[in-house]
Amino acid sequence: MWYPEWALRRPGAPQDEPGQAVGADGRVEAVNAAAYAAGIRRGMRRGEAEGICPPVTTIERDHSAEMIAFEQVVTEVEALVPKVEIVEPGLIFVPVSGAVGYYGGEGPLVERVVKEIDRITGDGYRIGLADGPFAAKHAAAGTTGDAPVHIVEDDASFLASLDISAIGREEVVATFRWLGITTLGELARLPGSAIASRFGAVGLDAHRLASGRDRLPNPRELPVDLAVVERFSPPLEDLEQAAFVARAMASRLVQALASIGAAPFRIVVEAEAVDGTTRSRTWRSADPLDDRAIAARVRWQLRAWIDGVGVGIRGGLAALRIEPADLSGVGRQLSLGEDARAASETHRALAETQAIVGLDGLLQAHPQGGREPVDRVVWHRWGETPVRVRDPEAPWPGRVPGPSPALVPPDPQPFHIEWDGGMPVRVRLGSRWVTVRSWAGPWRRVGRWWKGEETGDQYQIVTSAGAFLCEIKGEQTWLVGIYD
Amino acid sequence: MSDQRPATSYEQDLLPGTRSSDTEYRGPSTEYAAGGGQGLPVLAPGQVAVLSGEPGLGMTRLGLVMLSGYTDGTVAYLDVRGWLSPIAAWEVGIEPDRLVIARCREVVRWGRATAALLDGAAAVMAEVPIGAKDASIRKLASLARNRGTPLLFRPIDRAIPAGIAHLMLEAREITWTGTVEGHGRIEQRKTRIIASGKAMKGMTRTIEMEDDGSNALRVVSGVGATETRSATG
Repeated sequence: MWYPEWALRRPGAPQDEPGQAVGADGRVEAVNAAAYAAGIRRGMRRGEAEGICPPVTTIERDHSAEMIAFEQVVTEVEALVPKVEIVEPGLIFVPVSGAVGYYGGEGPLVERVVKEIDRITGDGYRIGLADGPFAAKHAAAGTTGDAPVHIVEDDASFLASLDISAIGREEVVATFRWLGITTLGELARLPGSAIASRFGAVGLDAHRLASGRDRLPNPRELPVDLAVVERFSPPLEDLEQAAFVARAMASRLVQALASIGAAPFRIVVEAEAVDGTTRSRTWRSADPLDDRAIAARVRWQLRAWIDGVGVGIRGGLAALRIEPADLSGVGRQLSLGEDARAASETHRALAETQAIVGLDGLLQAHPQGGREPVDRVVWHRWGETPVRVRDPEAPWPGRVPGPSPALVPPDPQPFHIEWDGGMPVRVRLGSRWVTVRSWAGPWRRVGRWWKGEETGDQYQIVTSAGAFLCEIKGEQTWLVGIYD
Repeated sequence: MSDQRPATSYEQDLLPGTRSSDTEYRGPSTEYAAGGGQGLPVLAPGQVAVLSGEPGLGMTRLGLVMLSGYTDGTVAYLDVRGWLSPIAAWEVGIEPDRLVIARCREVVRWGRATAALLDGAAAVMAEVPIGAKDASIRKLASLARNRGTPLLFRPIDRAIPAGIAHLMLEAREITWTGTVEGHGRIEQRKTRIIASGKAMKGMTRTIEMEDDGSNALRVVSGVGATETRSATG
């Protein structure tokens, strides 16, 4: 749910005359109707906008002031649907999968939400409903004041029609356009490995978004408690004091997460008042939150609680808690101790290798049940999930004993053994014959006779040039493995 | 290694914890394997090793044991023949999730793929195809040094140009035990290896290694007296 003009709703902002709010980078982030009619658009530089419409009134964005009023909107929405996540004042994500069932469908749910927020804020809201936040945000952005709700039926087809600039990565958008890729659909149709090879992690992110693979608003819990907590005695009564402590807490949190190779995409800010009441709010971001971003959001939230409608924080702040709630978002959860930068480099290098050798050329393998070395391995492309056919833990009587041959041809190779009185005496290696020193076998392999597999006899042949696992079927001897 | 047998002079050079504390150690500059491959030198970042020897002499497994020493991150094997069995890698202690195998027969792509792997893997073992040019191999060795990625070359039926390897291991002979006239099964092998290069301080040494299929590959003795050659640098 998005209020594009929320930054201009705070006291003192121009209402009937052209007005714009600019961010810290000097770009326009919100315009009112009069400024829009004059030609000012979001994303313009301040000077450019003022050149188009000289009488425009410009205000700097003040997130904490904007949050004071927005807190009431969040509270009302959260009364209907729990676990609301704030991105910034004016933009929230609401996980609705459970609420849709409760209210009897997407339409009734949206109706109910609209009814409540319309009572508080009047019009100006935009609502997009989709499977993922990325699609939902762009659905909301595509609505108009006359039709402010867009319920997306199919995320993939909706995203396919969006302009390539929707990915929001200026560094690659121009190159995509130069390559003739103008929509997300065209980008999604390209192989991910090729994108990774050319554009690296940024390109992969763009491809993931274009393909409709977004992070869910309510992903898994963290494995360990990484929350940082401060208790205050005496309680803090000044916002600036609390904000100062929040900066130190945010720094500690980010350092702790960095040590396990992660960064938070969501944080839960929880404040405990002296009277024992506890309030909490979830903030999310499209990019990982750093310590400054976390500290800023804590400050905005505390000010909203203190100065906004409601009971405030009675008697002062007794405790403050910041909890990271989502460490995914970079594609996977890093394991403990794994270096995030190294993991990113590895991913990129492997994606590049895959682009060189082909999808079927970069493989990983996992164990599965079987008797022959070739049967005990399930191969899969790098990046894909293995599908085991046979249980590796199950007993496999007659399995070739270890140590296993290090080299196993995908298909058995012809092998020449010279026999004398039923015992192997020489094997041919290339153009030369090598004397057999010892051997083990034969072991009868019955095979899956119901599938027409031939029976065979396996031998381990040991020579001065190495040991070989071979199988005799009918009159032909085959090399099954080399103990290299 | 058995506690009963006194360490040989060679082991005293190679094995951690066996050197006399009052002896000033000026051994190889390489570090040592933390788990598998006791006594095997582990290449420091950017160092290059060459593992040569005919298929069957055990150098693939030896290379896998050396790869298993790099426990931080993904290790990569560039498989030119397409014959590598990952079971052998798992047996020596490389977890399935940490092993990536790139299959590439074509020479030009082989060089590019190896270069790409050196950019991100914790260590790379690359089979060297017959048609690979010396210049390509030198470039890859240089890239490995720049990227700080240990690189193990496993040449297939070709020689590696001189001067690029920090450690050269050449298998000379292998002896398997466990099989007798049709009975038993192969259990343990001893491989005689000629080690040379900067890691050996410019000297050529003959060492013998035992392998029982686990990752407990060990240097068992310095069977050959140290050969003295002109230092290679």
